Amino acid sequence: MTRIHLRRAGGAKDDWETIDLPSPAEAGLAATSWDEVSASTALAWIQRNTDPALAFLLSCRRGLCDICAVRIDGKVVTACTTPVRDGMRIEPTKDKLALAGTIIDISLVRRARLS
Amino acid sequence: MQAFDVIVVGSGAAGLTAAWHARNRGASVLVVNKGMAGRTGATITTGGGVSIAGQTLQALGLPGDASDREDDFLLDTLKAGQFLGDQSLVQSMVTGIGAEIARLSALKTPIKIMTRAPGHTSGRGVHIAGPDIQRVQVQAAADSGVRFLEHFQSTGLLQDRDGRVVGVAGLDRATGEVRCFTANAVVLASGGATSNWSLRTAPEELTGDGAAMALAAGAELIEMEMLQFLPCCLVAPEMWRGLQFPWILGPQSGIRAWLLNKYGERFMARWDPERMELSTRDMVAFASANEVAEGRGSPNGGVYLSWAHLPRDIIDNFFRISQTVSADWRWEGFDMTPLVERIRAGHAIEVAPAAHFSIGGVRINDLGETAVPGLFAGGETAGGLHGGNRLSGNAGAQVLVQGKTAGIAAAQFAQKHPTRARPANEDEIIDRTLAPLGRRDGAVPAETRSRLTRLAERALSPVRDGATIRAGLDELAAIVTTDIPNLSARQSERRWNRDWTDALECQAAAIVLESALLSADARAVSIGAHRRRDAPKTSDEPLAHGLVRNVSGRLTHRFDPVAFSLVSPAA
Repeated sequence: MTRIHLRRAGGAKDDWETIDLPSPAEAGLAATSWDEVSASTALAWIQRNTDPALAFLLSCRRGLCDICAVRIDGKVVTACTTPVRDGMRIEPTKDKLALAGTIIDISLVRRARLS
Repeated sequence: MQAFDVIVVGSGAAGLTAAWHARNRGASVLVVNKGMAGRTGATITTGGGVSIAGQTLQALGLPGDASDREDDFLLDTLKAGQFLGDQSLVQSMVTGIGAEIARLSALKTPIKIMTRAPGHTSGRGVHIAGPDIQRVQVQAAADSGVRFLEHFQSTGLLQDRDGRVVGVAGLDRATGEVRCFTANAVVLASGGATSNWSLRTAPEELTGDGAAMALAAGAELIEMEMLQFLPCCLVAPEMWRGLQFPWILGPQSGIRAWLLNKYGERFMARWDPERMELSTRDMVAFASANEVAEGRGSPNGGVYLSWAHLPRDIIDNFFRISQTVSADWRWEGFDMTPLVERIRAGHAIEVAPAAHFSIGGVRINDLGETAVPGLFAGGETAGGLHGGNRLSGNAGAQVLVQGKTAGIAAAQFAQKHPTRARPANEDEIIDRTLAPLGRRDGAVPAETRSRLTRLAERALSPVRDGATIRAGLDELAAIVTTDIPNLSARQSERRWNRDWTDALECQAAAIVLESALLSADARAVSIGAHRRRDAPKTSDEPLAHGLVRNVSGRLTHRFDPVAFSLVSPAA
């Protein structure tokens, strides 16, 4: 069994939920084990199958655009390039940047933004 | 409703270039995009090549091969597209790219001169890294007074009673509101439609929204069957799907890895016995897909790429010849060590062609105008420039030149034809956008999306035939009947509602795929990237553009003869 822990935007410091993932084959993924699957795909699987309300972002899938940035086990990483590990803890990179789910505001155009 | 002179949809290189030029002409400009400006979109993932003739480089005071004239660049481009390219668009790219390189250079963009440009007769071109071009351009646009609205998913073009485009409507994902913005002109620069294929190199969001909106507004799409694939991309494991790492560690770098089918046959011998795996990327993509189509593929729907006949030293010393792979096998955001260890242990790697670039798109003229007043387009959203196929570096040149052209034309149109007309179709677009949110039960959007991408993968692979294309059309018709009107957001939270977003992407994707399938079915010959097993030879019929239009709610296809305004294929 592979299990991940998730803390979302707005959640208290100790507000962790635990999600059990099925085997990658049962999840319909081209992988023999979860360490061949990115944390982004795990988030997408959760949103699709167990929690439609989970908010997350994903774009380039190769660590270039940074919009999927999260904190995993204490370290800021791109979820798309980070393999799933049993027991991994995923949360927003910084509470004050967190918008919803794992989404953070890392806009490059804040000063030019339309309200 | 807020009003602007010009709204640009998309914030990749084409959109930011359009915005900057429109603003520079005095227009008030709003850029809306589905993700985050300077980050999302295909630009950041580009290899970085931008084609420019040596002659043009010299005129800019940069080192270039003076014997490489703009006419040579034009001819190479037309030949690569098998003379299906719109010659006025090619001319515009060839003659216009110099000024854009000069502008980017003045903005202090890091620009390197290239000496090798695959497929071109000269080493023409410059290299600008995707993240660099995005960083510089987003800064320049913001500095010039362009306004931005990120996380805004455009779903329809507002039109007045006469059909003139007067704005954009869509979903603001961050607030969950459906919003309308009016403008005197709109530029579509929202990228291609490659995310509608299951195996793809491109980012997640390229579902062809621009093409779908243009079609609904009355514009024409051109050459929608033409899709460029990159060969030798990873099919598994999940985390690496679509990465072109094997291509880079192999044929692209001149490394003699072997492509094998499930019988161990080196199948490139049947298609290009001289160059074998070092053949053109289209030929390698086609030959690989053909093995799969004829039942000789590997378990995950690819073919094998093998380095086992080579000494390990070739792999171990790869970092010495590579510009992008480090000695510890870091590449882009990944640590590729586990894959390389498999290769060093003598295993082959399963690879397949991945959807890479939309050659077709919204039909424009050399001013970036569509057939609809007030609507302009440029970059990968627009079609017709590359004809049947695209040369390396020509996407980089296209997005910059067409971004500029469309931005300037839109600003001029906005000045000449200001409008205060109310949109006549606002309610229809708002209702369609809101519909998935109101449904608690129905099709799960991500599942519909998977059905669509698998359909594209089967019916619109690098090798096609009439029966598979028509089966694809039937399957699509079923999805359009059962899934699309029943897409459900499954929950009522409006902010950052992923299902809602996915549902709206499915609406666009279904229309764009139908256009591509109709175009692929109608073009019953093989030309360029459109290769049919049931019609392997190019016909003797006169070359014609394939065009799709929405006629009273029904998509219809027609052919229009290619105008050889500058060069005739015979010459």
